[in-house]
Amino acid sequence: MDIDPITLEVARNAIYSIAEEMRFIMMRTAHAPLFKEAGDLSCALTDAEGRLVAQGRDHPIHLGVMSSTVKEFLRWMGDTPLAPGDVYFTNALTIGGNHLPDVKAIKPIFVGGQLLAFSVVLAHWPDTGGSVPGSYNTKAREIYQEGLQMPPLRLFTAAGADRTLMELILLNVRGREQREGDIYGQRAACEVAARRVEEVAQRYGADVLRGCFARFLEESELRMRAAVAAVPDGVYHGEDCMDHDGIGGRPYRIAVTVTVRGDVSTFDFGGSDPQAEGPINTTRFVVQSAVYYAAKSLFQPDIPTNDGCYRPFDVLVPEGCLLNPRPGAPVVGGNHETSRRVVDAIYRALAPAVPDRVTAAGHGSGGVVIIAGPSYVFYEAHGGGHGAGATWDGLSARQTTLGNIMNTPVEAMEASFPFVIERYELRPGSAGAGRQRGGLGLRRAIRLLDDRAQLTTMIERTVIAPWGLFGGEPGRCVRIRVNAGRPDEREVSGKANCSLQAGDVLLLETAGGGGYGPPGERSAELEAADRQEGYVE
Amino acid sequence: MERAIFRVGIDVGGTFTDVAAYETASGQLISFKIPSTPGQLAGGVVAAVAHLGTLAPGAALADVIHGTTVATNALIEGRGAPTALVTTAGFRDVLEIARQSRLHLYHPRDPDRPLPLVPRRRRFEVQERVNIRGEVLVPLRVDALPALVEQVRATGAVAVAVCLLHSYRYAEHERLLKSVLGEAFPHVSISSEINAEFREYERTNTTVVNATLMPLVRDYVRYLERELGSQGLGGRLHIVQSNGGMMTSGTAQHKPINTIMSGPAAGVAAARHLMRRLGLPNAVTFDMGGTSTDVCVIHQGQATITAERQIAGQPVRLSSVNIESIGAGGGSLAWTDDVGALKVGPQSAGASPGPACYGQGGTEATVTDANLVLGYLAPEGVWGGSIRVQPRLAVDAVARVGERFGLPLRRAAEGIVDIANSNMLRALRLVSVQRGFDLRDFVLVPFGGAGPVHAGRLARELNVRRVVVPVLSGVFSAYGCLVSELRYDRVQTFFSRLDRETPATLAAAFRAVERQALDELHAEGYAPEAVHLRRSLDLRYVGQTYELEVPLVAPPDGLDPQRIRRAFDALHEQQYAYATAQPVECVNLRLSATIPTAVPEPSPLPDGRPGRALVGRRRASFKECGAIDVAVYERTCLAPGEELRGPAVVEEAWSTTVVYPGQVLTVDRYGNLHITVQ
Repeated sequence: MDIDPITLEVARNAIYSIAEEMRFIMMRTAHAPLFKEAGDLSCALTDAEGRLVAQGRDHPIHLGVMSSTVKEFLRWMGDTPLAPGDVYFTNALTIGGNHLPDVKAIKPIFVGGQLLAFSVVLAHWPDTGGSVPGSYNTKAREIYQEGLQMPPLRLFTAAGADRTLMELILLNVRGREQREGDIYGQRAACEVAARRVEEVAQRYGADVLRGCFARFLEESELRMRAAVAAVPDGVYHGEDCMDHDGIGGRPYRIAVTVTVRGDVSTFDFGGSDPQAEGPINTTRFVVQSAVYYAAKSLFQPDIPTNDGCYRPFDVLVPEGCLLNPRPGAPVVGGNHETSRRVVDAIYRALAPAVPDRVTAAGHGSGGVVIIAGPSYVFYEAHGGGHGAGATWDGLSARQTTLGNIMNTPVEAMEASFPFVIERYELRPGSAGAGRQRGGLGLRRAIRLLDDRAQLTTMIERTVIAPWGLFGGEPGRCVRIRVNAGRPDEREVSGKANCSLQAGDVLLLETAGGGGYGPPGERSAELEAADRQEGYVE
Repeated sequence: MERAIFRVGIDVGGTFTDVAAYETASGQLISFKIPSTPGQLAGGVVAAVAHLGTLAPGAALADVIHGTTVATNALIEGRGAPTALVTTAGFRDVLEIARQSRLHLYHPRDPDRPLPLVPRRRRFEVQERVNIRGEVLVPLRVDALPALVEQVRATGAVAVAVCLLHSYRYAEHERLLKSVLGEAFPHVSISSEINAEFREYERTNTTVVNATLMPLVRDYVRYLERELGSQGLGGRLHIVQSNGGMMTSGTAQHKPINTIMSGPAAGVAAARHLMRRLGLPNAVTFDMGGTSTDVCVIHQGQATITAERQIAGQPVRLSSVNIESIGAGGGSLAWTDDVGALKVGPQSAGASPGPACYGQGGTEATVTDANLVLGYLAPEGVWGGSIRVQPRLAVDAVARVGERFGLPLRRAAEGIVDIANSNMLRALRLVSVQRGFDLRDFVLVPFGGAGPVHAGRLARELNVRRVVVPVLSGVFSAYGCLVSELRYDRVQTFFSRLDRETPATLAAAFRAVERQALDELHAEGYAPEAVHLRRSLDLRYVGQTYELEVPLVAPPDGLDPQRIRRAFDALHEQQYAYATAQPVECVNLRLSATIPTAVPEPSPLPDGRPGRALVGRRRASFKECGAIDVAVYERTCLAPGEELRGPAVVEEAWSTTVVYPGQVLTVDRYGNLHITVQ
């Protein structure tokens, strides 16, 4: 259908605006703090076939998740009819799932009795049940320890809430009132989006709006194809490894073969290691997110996110490997650790193809530290150095690739927890040298003031360093110590679960990024600046 | 004969300097615009005052209230002074680590991420440590300070910022450093004086931004005072702050950061003042200029305030009116993107070359050209004092856009306007949805050259029922300078469980902040009795990581913890649709000290005969009825109570108001235009 250019633009603004509004409604109506501080939610509209049309300020880890959720949902539903007023909730790994805390609400939108679109709200619930509060069990060996699995459950119809299903969920998660608030918040955001889509459809006609949806996808597809076509054809292979799964000591390999042919490319993960016993497995939807992230960042960062972007890509993930494990495998850490390593493997593969855009490897970990005392649970994600690029040094002390969570201020930590933070600073000398050097990691020292506490870590790059590119040197690994420099100094693993005493000082030093190009080629000017600023030791 | 004494509001913009002044005895109001001198902001103020002198010979000035972009421009252009930073040992990199997040997720370089304003080589640590309760764990090593002064001096820094951990709780170490560093450096800014609020990165950066601006703003203010003095007109100089209130020139030198939203805040101050006069508590300002549009919500008579914002990419914490700015204005260009879609803005033709119809070399169609083609703007005469408009050029430019898409001229013009409007609708929806406001209860207040052209159409889309085009809309920010009150905002972090407080303990906590505010005002010559204090508390449920600001009614009732608790629950319910029985904790005390400004009642319009304002008819196009002849009115000739039915156009020197089909415009006794939207 031919859409006039003015209607297309006005509808575009209206539809994007709806996706943005959903986010605010969600933040206002749900149990707000987590979403506001960490931004761990995604809102989207899809067309009637589940193709992603518009996504609010997107969270990279949810890219592939949001583009698959409704399609998998429709497949699962089969001939079961959908009706106006229905809102389904699911966190099933098979329905676009990434890990159990990310719960999606899905609402079909009808205009004139015809299915036109879906509104989808993904929100990270602070708890989905399982063996530990917060549903973050770094020692899980099966998914049952990670929480309640929900296939698509119709929690709402036009007649109201299904109390039985609602109760089933609320009986199996911690923080009943808050979770109920989250559920109603997700529903509210879906409902408001539906009303606004209906308004727009009534104004321009449902068929015109369908035509606009198709055109948005086409535009993004055209742009991504043009971007892929600019990449030299070839078969590119790359690998990277996870340190270990926290149970066995051996590394897990992630292998990818990227085939670029004209304006399309295939990402084949054959050759990756079998699934792990510990929770570093992840789902093929997370792998898609990582592929889309890598492709967007390397090929064309500014394309509006929708299904059209992804049409030029094929993602192949063999069953039974740690990127697509058999049912029952634990996955909670894979969401933010393994996903980042997938990006690193793709970057390494494509480095010869797009040398001016790729970067060396960075910190590449969520850097998660959890300290649980008798009356508190402290949870923090730590950034580190980014890998260097062809003409720029890596960013220092930042979250890498798929994540972007903010830090907790020192003064806020001391206000809420029995800690004194002794230092929070850059880690000079941690960057990999190169013509362009990597970014610096950071260093945080936490002194426990009273009581015993349990320390949990979920941190990668403690064993396998962030690699350099084209002669650049690797960055320094993550190092975790208790009481560094004291007689009772001890090293802590990246997937540890151990106890701390009052007076102990935990010192976390995160990884520096890898360098780019031979260190000997670094300009004297930049070297002098690094010395003057104290970035090198 | 007694000299006429004036108060003068002056807003210096990129193209024009706007002036509004009133004679304090008679209340007579004078307003005018003069061209700004590019790169010479202070020159604009001096020229404006000189021009006033020619309009009112022999006049004296009581007050000059000035909205300025001098600090903002310096930040955007990276012209802050070389500055050093002193921090607690172990934390000199807080400024560089920031909040560890990136601006651009998909650009590996994160190209727009601002560099820290103080490079690492100019960041110094001192041995000292205070804990969360304000207890000294490590005393400040005073004997090390002479060496510190020498180290700082060696870097060439001319300003020094100091930010120590928990200094919002215990400021003695910072004060000591200020006294030592102050001997050696003319500009020292300490965080406990600029932003006594917890979360160290934001406090550090705010203090650093302030320090980098101190030399520049001091020179600017001193130059102005000298020039005003040399003209023999007298007058105290005040600067409008980001919060919409004004401050003395002395305070501006210590807290230059408070000027960063000066101009836009003055426009909001004007709208707030006017809406209070009209008894309309809820409004959305809509200031549409050449390249951008600013919108701000006024709720229950107060401009919505934000405690944190970004300026030139730098996050800073200061009280400022919550303005959203989008890159859409009269000069926004229509263009075709790489996949063939029609786009409008954010690129703009700016003031030069300007829209095609200006005939100054612009050839691409802008929103202004489209408005001209549609008959909304005058096709002849002189715009804005100097531009002789050439409709033919607008028609050609818009027609070229049409040809690309196979659209007739009128449809192309409508399309450009529709797309620009849809961009602005997105911003207007966001400012309201973000805070949970329903715009049906609000009026839209357009100003700036293009605002009243678009407001009627946008109001209909938003279900807003009334548009008020204010008098003096052409010099609205200058008028805002004139009506703004002297206002000092303070914040003090105060961690405490609300249920453990009593009215007496809360009063004691506020007293220290109140004393600082009253002392500051006293030093500037204001008696404590003249000061109006407004208190509020930032509160949250225990365990939350963000706060809500709860305004308190006047003591003693206002300090009753149970009453405050109920107010917090109600506000939480309004904003987040739930409240819980969890305990509540205090995070910050906020105090706003104001001295009201005496503003005379505006003089009502003289009673006139309705119908004198009709100056002609012209062809204009509307979606509802196509191209038809519409009546054109001259705003200055409208009589109070006069009523016009749309479609119609009302022209004035600096702006045009479009009354769309089905809308009715009435003129109130002061000359404000009220448009009823169906």
